[in-house]
Amino acid sequence: MRDDSHKWDVPQNFSAPLAGPGVTISRIIPDRQTLISAPDILARTPGAAGWPDRAAGDSYTLCLRRDRVLEVNGPARTDGWDGQQAVSDITDGLTIFEITGPRAMELIRRGAEISDALPSRSAVRQAFGLEVILCRRQDALRLHVARTEAQALRKQLADHITLM
Amino acid sequence: MSGTRISKGGLIDRSTLLRFRFDGRDFTGHPGDTLASALLASGVRVMGRSFKYHRPRGVWGAWFDDPNAVFNVTLKGDELPNCPATTTPLVDGMEARAVNAWPNAESDIKGGLDLFHRWLGAGFYYKTFMWPDWHLFEPSIRKMAGLGAVDGKVIEGYVADQLHDHCDLLVAGGGAAGLAAARAAAEAGQAVVLVDDHATLGGGLYQGDEPVEGEEPRQWVATQEAAIRAAGGRILSSTTVYGIYDHGLAALAEDRGFARAPRLWRMRARRILMATGAMDRPITFADNDRPGVMSLQGAAEFLGRYGVLVGRKIAVLSNNSQSTPIVAHLRAAGAEVIEADPDEGTLRALDGKRLSGVQIGGRKIDCDTILASGGLTPTVHLWRHAGGKLDWSAEKAAFVPGAAPQGMVAAGAANGTFDLDPALAEARAAALGNAPETVATGYRIKPLWPQPGAKGRQWIDFQHDVTLKDVELAARENYVSVEHLKRYTTLGMAADQGKTSNMAGLAAMAAIQGRPIPEVGTTTFRPPFVPVPMELYHGTRRGQLVNPLKRLELEAQHRQAGGAMCEYGGWLRPGWYGPDQETAIRAEVLAARQAAGVFDGSPLGKIEVMGPDAAAFVNFIYYNTISTLRPGHIRYGFMLRENGLILDDGVVARLGPDRFLISCSSSHVASVELMLESWRQDGNDPDRIFVHDTTPHWATLTLTGPKAQQIVAALDTGVDLDDFPHMTLREGQFDGAPLRIARVSFTGDASYELSLRAGKAGALWQAIMAAGAPHDLRPVGVEALSVLRAEKGFIMVGKDTDGETMPHDLGFGVPRQKKKAAFVGDRALHSDTANAPDRRQLVGLTLPEGALPLATGAHIVTTGPKPRSIGFVTSSYFSPTLNRPIALALLEHGSERMGERVTLRHMGQTATATVSAPCALDPEGERLNA
Repeated sequence: MRDDSHKWDVPQNFSAPLAGPGVTISRIIPDRQTLISAPDILARTPGAAGWPDRAAGDSYTLCLRRDRVLEVNGPARTDGWDGQQAVSDITDGLTIFEITGPRAMELIRRGAEISDALPSRSAVRQAFGLEVILCRRQDALRLHVARTEAQALRKQLADHITLM
Repeated sequence: MSGTRISKGGLIDRSTLLRFRFDGRDFTGHPGDTLASALLASGVRVMGRSFKYHRPRGVWGAWFDDPNAVFNVTLKGDELPNCPATTTPLVDGMEARAVNAWPNAESDIKGGLDLFHRWLGAGFYYKTFMWPDWHLFEPSIRKMAGLGAVDGKVIEGYVADQLHDHCDLLVAGGGAAGLAAARAAAEAGQAVVLVDDHATLGGGLYQGDEPVEGEEPRQWVATQEAAIRAAGGRILSSTTVYGIYDHGLAALAEDRGFARAPRLWRMRARRILMATGAMDRPITFADNDRPGVMSLQGAAEFLGRYGVLVGRKIAVLSNNSQSTPIVAHLRAAGAEVIEADPDEGTLRALDGKRLSGVQIGGRKIDCDTILASGGLTPTVHLWRHAGGKLDWSAEKAAFVPGAAPQGMVAAGAANGTFDLDPALAEARAAALGNAPETVATGYRIKPLWPQPGAKGRQWIDFQHDVTLKDVELAARENYVSVEHLKRYTTLGMAADQGKTSNMAGLAAMAAIQGRPIPEVGTTTFRPPFVPVPMELYHGTRRGQLVNPLKRLELEAQHRQAGGAMCEYGGWLRPGWYGPDQETAIRAEVLAARQAAGVFDGSPLGKIEVMGPDAAAFVNFIYYNTISTLRPGHIRYGFMLRENGLILDDGVVARLGPDRFLISCSSSHVASVELMLESWRQDGNDPDRIFVHDTTPHWATLTLTGPKAQQIVAALDTGVDLDDFPHMTLREGQFDGAPLRIARVSFTGDASYELSLRAGKAGALWQAIMAAGAPHDLRPVGVEALSVLRAEKGFIMVGKDTDGETMPHDLGFGVPRQKKKAAFVGDRALHSDTANAPDRRQLVGLTLPEGALPLATGAHIVTTGPKPRSIGFVTSSYFSPTLNRPIALALLEHGSERMGERVTLRHMGQTATATVSAPCALDPEGERLNA
């Protein structure tokens, strides 16, 4: 096998925000992210946000599909099947980038087919060639991406900023 | 005489002078010029050479329909190849050079090739360079072929910006129809985007310089633009709609200036209105390719947009009514215009680079320029991209849009409505979704098509030097389908993609065959409508972003430990640790066998299956029986596809009565999750089974080797390691986080797989390295692990299996016999193919003492005069533990051949080996269960 160490940037921890014209990208470290699946989960979490819903507060829930939500900073839960729902801790599995600034949406549109005029019950979508969970939180946009792909997403965002 | 700049008119800024060079000579132009218009204004006629015969060529058209003037252009050290002169805006300081010509277009040294034209007809190289070998000639032919060459220098910052956008109505084309439609739709409340490839909108309105709805063209255009913007519409100028794709997706290329990559807009439109106008088509006559023979419409564009009069004494050969306003415009600009009926007699352009006139039958017209118009052809390329049909209009002698693709409508000249007022009415109606009022066309045309057998060299495709005789040759050789004609002669395959040649070519073929034109049909138009740089598609997806790999939480630690990071199944993982690969792998294998090794197994799948039906579901998914698995226990198993072939292998752990953890192969996580979801939703009750892929949440470090247990014991995990048998799982804590310890092994030695949330992996790594230091612990990379598992005879799916392997080929026939319930792939395992006696089975290969390792992929062959492959080597290594080469192979009747000596061949080399059991180390499993 070929040693490709030099071809790949040494991973960053994303502690420093990334700033561009009218846009800033920061990493958000949540206390907890939990996947919850159940046949009636949407009925039990009516506030689960899709697109372009605006999630509010530190604790919010995103609708991923008809039987699954992502709970961010929710209460501690025990992993497994509790007779009603399937629960998995995914806190370290999803890296969160928050994009703020007047051109935040313009940046996202470089990698995703998205518009406020095109609503979606699910917050899951393809962006920059990756599967992400995209939501509005207050005036910012948040991207939840698999930790293993966070380097790729962050680099894409950085590269696109240079073109804005 | 040739082109001149008139003192007024056009859309250029005469107050500013731009300097540029062409083929080594200095010229000037103005803002608003293209390279072609500035050269024409400076009296330059010859702007290029044809592809094959190197014939001198001037411009034919004024915009995207010109096939002749193609330049390599340099500006401030940045060079772009193959710039169409008619669509490249002039910039001060440009240095342009005609492609395919040396030393210049005016005096091309290869122009002498034209003398040999009789021997260089269509497909000549297929027939001529047969002996002794085509490949002998190929390099020279390839060197001569092609247009501009890339200089190899990278233009800094040449990166395409890419945007997604959407609208209610996308109007392609900013001419009269497009402007009218966009305004109507915008004022009706639609979100409109109007796209035009010119910097200045107006389309062909400047050609005749006639009033539009009572206003002078520039004023009318300005009025429409202002109204569109006032109503909330958007206008993208210098932008080309170059492709229409599924579900209303339009691809737009926005020109951002020379040596700046265009911007790609992926525009999703609810409706697309095609108002792309129509193109003038050439008349096919002898020497119709001479510089000075131009499109009537092109000449009108040069005059109307750039204030350039293309000649002083002009012969207009037109078979249609569009010539009337243009002729008036040319005369008003000072030209002497002689109109002639091109059907009056046999036509021939007179003289070579310096045109002196045109012969029509017995009559000669002295002129310096011939403007030809064989009729208008609607620009229907986008229509065809979207799957729209074309209808033949005998009245207009043209293909016009027929059955519409979903969400698309055509208007104006693009729809065959060539008269201005009806086109405006039609466009406004189409924009609002209304049917236009039918109005009789004022456009008149007397069809004029190529005449087979006519004398002289009559050009069909200017750039690619396809003549009428070539089409006749193709017909004689039975390339009568337009698609075959295109490929045999390369007609329509030039940079203009047949914009000028398609109609003439298919009309010629129709005439040769005596069939009506619509019966011959058209070739298929595909994106891009105009050439676009590859960079447009590329954007920021370069370097690491071409195919980004998944990254380990502990990558920094691996790099610090000297890890050589390599690509394995979509992940960047340490292949080995240390500067020398071979030494490192050997040391890591021996450490794992003699002391302990630690391996980062984080990419291994962690897919949880939960719910009341989880047990039955997992049992259904696996080839092996899983329903009997007790909580806290682990079982190895296969997942099959429906055709019985192995999709993946791995272990499944039961975490609770209704909770399973599937640990699939690192590179198969996505495909396994997809398979689980597919079966969950089809044939099972999706409300009773839930699948969560938690792989990225976890990190896994595996300790293996005789001292592994001592190292784990030194960690503060709270897990009792006594009486902790192989294939069981226990849960504990590390640094306050839940920890799973699984007794599974992929090395054949006692192993402990420690999994915890990724955020704690760094602390665990540090603790393991500290605890392992007294025990000679070494980190183990993927390469050493591959050797370790091969010594034990453990397979890697995809390496030791191929697209035909079933579990019983690997010696796992018993689980199927024991299984009572149905499972995925069960039915296929009963097929004749699955039970064929000569299936390839997994074996080991033992080599004679002193032999070198076999090549992976080497074929095991039968002996005799006609050797046949009966298998191949799937894995081969030098085993540091056994101090000899080892190999695994798939071999026909493998299980019946134990002890048999076989012959292997690879790249001309022959080797021998003895068939053995796959497991070369500790077949009793004593080390594993230690």
